[in-house]
Amino acid sequence: MTRFPVRLIILFLLLPFPAMAQGISGYAEGKGFVYGERSNSRDPSAVGWGTLFTKWEEKAGEAQLTASVRAEWITSDEQGSFSLDPADRRIRRSPISVRDLWVRFPVSPSVDLQAGRFQLGWGKTDGYSPADAFLPRDLSDPFADEKIPLWAIRLSGQDGAIRYEAVACPVTTSWRLPVLGSRNAPLSVEEVPAGTVFREVEDPPPVIGFAAMRVLATVNEWDLGAWGRVGVRPAPLLDFRFDRAVSTPSGLTIPVERRYAHEEGAGVELSRIIGSWIVRGEAAAFFSRDRDLGDALIGALSAEKGFGDGTLLITLAGNAIDPPVDESLLFDRAILPAFIAAWNRTEEWGEWKVVWTAGLRHGDGLLKGEVGYNITDVWKITVGSELPYGYEKGPLGALHTAQRLHAALRLSW
Amino acid sequence: MNKNRLAGRALLRLTLAVLLAALFAGIALASPDARSLLKESENRHRTRTQQYAGDLTVVNKDGKVRKKGWKSFREGYAGDARNLIRFTDPPEVKGVGFLSIARPGLQNPDQWLYLPSMKRERRIAAQDRDASFVGTDFNYEDMEEFDHEKYKVALQGEQTVEGHPCHVITAIPLEKGGKSVYEKIILYLRKDILYLLREDLYRKGEREPGKRLVLSDIQNVDGHWVARKWEMCDLKKGSKTTVLLKEIAFDRPQAANRFTLQNLNREGGD
Repeated sequence: MTRFPVRLIILFLLLPFPAMAQGISGYAEGKGFVYGERSNSRDPSAVGWGTLFTKWEEKAGEAQLTASVRAEWITSDEQGSFSLDPADRRIRRSPISVRDLWVRFPVSPSVDLQAGRFQLGWGKTDGYSPADAFLPRDLSDPFADEKIPLWAIRLSGQDGAIRYEAVACPVTTSWRLPVLGSRNAPLSVEEVPAGTVFREVEDPPPVIGFAAMRVLATVNEWDLGAWGRVGVRPAPLLDFRFDRAVSTPSGLTIPVERRYAHEEGAGVELSRIIGSWIVRGEAAAFFSRDRDLGDALIGALSAEKGFGDGTLLITLAGNAIDPPVDESLLFDRAILPAFIAAWNRTEEWGEWKVVWTAGLRHGDGLLKGEVGYNITDVWKITVGSELPYGYEKGPLGALHTAQRLHAALRLSW
Repeated sequence: MNKNRLAGRALLRLTLAVLLAALFAGIALASPDARSLLKESENRHRTRTQQYAGDLTVVNKDGKVRKKGWKSFREGYAGDARNLIRFTDPPEVKGVGFLSIARPGLQNPDQWLYLPSMKRERRIAAQDRDASFVGTDFNYEDMEEFDHEKYKVALQGEQTVEGHPCHVITAIPLEKGGKSVYEKIILYLRKDILYLLREDLYRKGEREPGKRLVLSDIQNVDGHWVARKWEMCDLKKGSKTTVLLKEIAFDRPQAANRFTLQNLNREGGD
């Protein structure tokens, strides 16, 4: 990136401080992680993560314009170098990135067209949704569940009780993986000696992305939906190039390439209020001719109940077809079958949540807890912990050296 | 002689009884009953649409103050109301949307909450309507328009509230009126303009009101009476939410699809 655009973006990020203009919002956050263990000598014992985020929203007639930029400073190797990466296609996070840049306008009173860079949220099942799972995520922080926005065009509308949506994503934005071999992605490859370094090859994802359609209907207590998509699957498949391994004085270095499979998927979703519970179910079929990906039949069932200002959410998800490779390498399918229980509650002073994810194949799991305290309307402090546990070859148990405590201080505007 | 006396006494008693019955019947016929008062109130204050911007102040029992802001749009009234609320402040809840659509008959309305972080709506189950509405002292049921058809109502008497003589009406949710958070609501209806000044809200099992809604600063806007200040006190928790209404407008045409799930999901929309 040239110096001029960088300055422009920094100027944009700093705009809210003096102006506090209407339509501008954002936050500045400092976050720290402390780890109890290290998986290798390159893993730091503590990581700092600073974020400055600014969002600008404006209405121009009937059109809605939104732009947002994020600047970051990460003390670990998850931070990439300054680069122009408008579609998040690089393997590491750029210190400055565009999160939103879209316009939405009505093409008729009940039909909207949205174009640009924005985030999608599909699927009804909060704990695990096959409709949502394919959307690109940034796993630089493997416990953050951060979605990456897409460059896309979306047509959405409503006709009575029926809602419909069509999305065309002309550019592939892939999943961003943690540094391979670090505590956040401790690859256990057979017959690879300890101390082996994985050299990630920066292969650009395919240009063409995917297209998807979705129809939703609300009938009394029922919410029904169906969707389909075709195109490039954003989660990469890893090729360990043992044939190009290099022996160095410090150990073996193995190049790891990424490739992207084509996949077709279709799913149904339904949700119903039953007494004091909201029950949701999804089923999806995925078809791929790729030898390492294969087909999948994924189902998810969740039940949600409110208790005053708290909510309990229980989800069970599984894949009826065994994947041809270690499921840990398929990312969105890695934890299946899984049981997820989440309990969150809003308090006068803030909120708290506890999430337990149990991998049913290996008996591993993840315990997450977080408490947020609102110091004022704009200052908030958060403390929490992530504790992966269990069988070390399971997708969650493998992260045991990533057990950590975290604390964050955020100023919003 | 004794027989004549007894007959005279019986006649006197009968005459008194008839006179008293006529007197009470006259009083009953002259006094309005609770249902007709509430119907008349609804007729007087019914508007096709209403919109306003609300400045909210939430004060907890320790005196800690939180500020919030929302924009509210309503179409229809009472049992046929559709309501959209979009939070504008603070940053933490900006963009959160709430849609409530009345259902036919006496069923509970359909309610959804849109959370920008999730990019999709969540349905509110009827049983969840006691949950706090986005950190305020209102719950999801409080956000509905009061519809007297869903209650068995009875006139309890009169009382002066803030210097205004009021009808005091007890409203008990009907079984067929959908599930209610409350066991009983006592309404204080200002006699001269039949406008609601206060609600005492009793949750199940409560002998004293658990919450109290006070409506004040009543002004005439566009020919309609409206309370510009709402105070919802949670008497058990000791907290209070005050809403100051600004930019109030009645009977303005609303966007054709404002009260739809598509619009609720429009990020940055209202």
